[in-house]
Amino acid sequence: MIFIALRYLLERKKQTVLTLLGVFFGTMAYVGVSGFFVGFQGFMVQQLVNNAAQVHVEARKDYLTEHVLDGPFFGKDWLHAFWVSPPAGVEGFQEIQNPSQWYQRLAADPRVEAYVPQLSAPALFTLGRNSVGTTIMGCDPKKQARVTTIADYMIAGKFTDIAVGGNRIVMGDELMKRLGAAMSQTVMATVGVNPVPVPFKVVGRFYSGSRGLDLQAFAAISDIQRTNLTPNQVNEIGVRLKNYQDADTMARTWAMSSPERVESWGDQNANILSVFAIQTALRFSMIVTILVVAGFGIYNILNMTVNQKRQDIAILRALGYDAFDVIMLFFSQGMIVGVIGGACGLACGYLLCAYLQTIPFMVATPSNPQGHLHIALNFKIFAQAAFMAIFSAALASILPARAASKLTPIDIIRIGG
Amino acid sequence: MSIVAEHIGKAFGNPPVRILSDISLTIPDGDFVSLTGRSGAGKSSLLYVLSSLDSPTEGRVLIEGVDITQMSSKQLHATRNVKIGFVFQFHYLIAELTVLENVLVPALKLHQEVSRRPRAENLIAKFGLSDKMNRYPRQLSGGEMQRVAIARALIMQPKYLFADEPTGALDTINGEAVMSILQECNTKDGTTVIMVTHDPDFAKMAKRQIRMADGRIISDG
Repeated sequence: MIFIALRYLLERKKQTVLTLLGVFFGTMAYVGVSGFFVGFQGFMVQQLVNNAAQVHVEARKDYLTEHVLDGPFFGKDWLHAFWVSPPAGVEGFQEIQNPSQWYQRLAADPRVEAYVPQLSAPALFTLGRNSVGTTIMGCDPKKQARVTTIADYMIAGKFTDIAVGGNRIVMGDELMKRLGAAMSQTVMATVGVNPVPVPFKVVGRFYSGSRGLDLQAFAAISDIQRTNLTPNQVNEIGVRLKNYQDADTMARTWAMSSPERVESWGDQNANILSVFAIQTALRFSMIVTILVVAGFGIYNILNMTVNQKRQDIAILRALGYDAFDVIMLFFSQGMIVGVIGGACGLACGYLLCAYLQTIPFMVATPSNPQGHLHIALNFKIFAQAAFMAIFSAALASILPARAASKLTPIDIIRIGG
Repeated sequence: MSIVAEHIGKAFGNPPVRILSDISLTIPDGDFVSLTGRSGAGKSSLLYVLSSLDSPTEGRVLIEGVDITQMSSKQLHATRNVKIGFVFQFHYLIAELTVLENVLVPALKLHQEVSRRPRAENLIAKFGLSDKMNRYPRQLSGGEMQRVAIARALIMQPKYLFADEPTGALDTINGEAVMSILQECNTKDGTTVIMVTHDPDFAKMAKRQIRMADGRIISDG
């Protein structure tokens, strides 16, 4: 039947080409749009999982709610407590309670690639008349460089120089610009609870492209512990995993067995991930709409063809072709259009993505030196596009094909076709 | 082996309109039967029932001893493909296929288009259409298209050939040519031919004439 189906398609070239173009553009659009969105999302996820720890452990601090102290004060014999001045504040810990237990657990876990103990404190940097309030992170630079990609973002100096000794600091590019600082200059830092400003020498400068990160500063953990008047204190541990997709599961597991707050990179960026989810839903609905319209094109053409070919159907049934053969005659026409249109759409979609990758689109950053669009060219996108093209063609074809198979030759012959 | 009709009746519509009433006949192999009568006598309806294109409201039709009204769709279509040939007043050629391809359509069903090609070419040559083998129906005359339709009906060497007014749309010369082909099929190949015709001259060319009126056989001989 494919032989006759091909003849039908070739006989009305214009209609066939127009219908094919519908599937072609729909498929190409899916590959291009998905490549763009998935590529962008992948780029953003890489930024999220590389710029900061994939699992973040920090000393728990909970905001006190109005009724959090009802039980401790009144035991079980109370219905409702009305507070004249309800309790307020933050309860929790200033540091991780048993860091050495954490270190043992993380060192023993085969899923953990690296971890870094950190002391994070608010800091006020002053240089001349300029002051900037930000966060200073105390860490072991070698361990920090294994957990995040901060060392790759250095544009002056070396990240490990902070461990040389003597209050050395590496600053983000944005922080240095706001302070008006330069390499090898000394800035005054008021760190945490210590009201006395302490000099720090700038030995490095980094630029990540992320404004929040570029406003931060890093120093040796021992320097920050001393400056903050909290010797040996660790209030955060950053963890890098061998597979970042395990982060959610591992964060939940660790949170259940420790007093600390344990969050995955996904928890910390839930708003960004929800935007991605919306993008994905929009992408699917847009492309499905395009392919549904293309499918309607196939449906209309085949419906017209069935009406025009009633005499052919009658004679084929008289010559021994049964209902299934008639279904295949029309179904295969739709599928030929769907497969060819889909295949051409995939090929041109690939070329479109390859071209998009060469377009300069954003400011060059260390993680994206060329400043080009990140386009995803993965098999899953192509497989989805091919499936949707074929599925929409199949669905659009089967209905007219079944209608054609229900026509009886005698009815057509009696009324003269 | 033969075609046997037992108490065939046909009615359709609501309220039912009776088209055929209690028709019984036997058509032995090798016979050439013409069905004649006025318009509305039920000739074509009887032809369609005997050939399996339509089903009777009452009675049964046996072809080679098998009740075709009880056949599965698969068996019925296989029988039509191999044992039965049809020629209608309208040629019903597929416009997108050439003459040769149209003739080979029945063979395509069984993937015999290669093995049956010599026979197709012979039939086309026999009907004087050798030089038009690769032409499309729109490039042929009415008589030529009807000859192609007959070649298509004969490609599978059917035992039975049902023709419904095969000369109805043709001029005298082409009509006679078609009748000549049908006679040759019957006498030389032994094909059983059942033909509906209005033309009394063509009806007489058959070995047996069955006259019908008001859905009944009024004479058979």
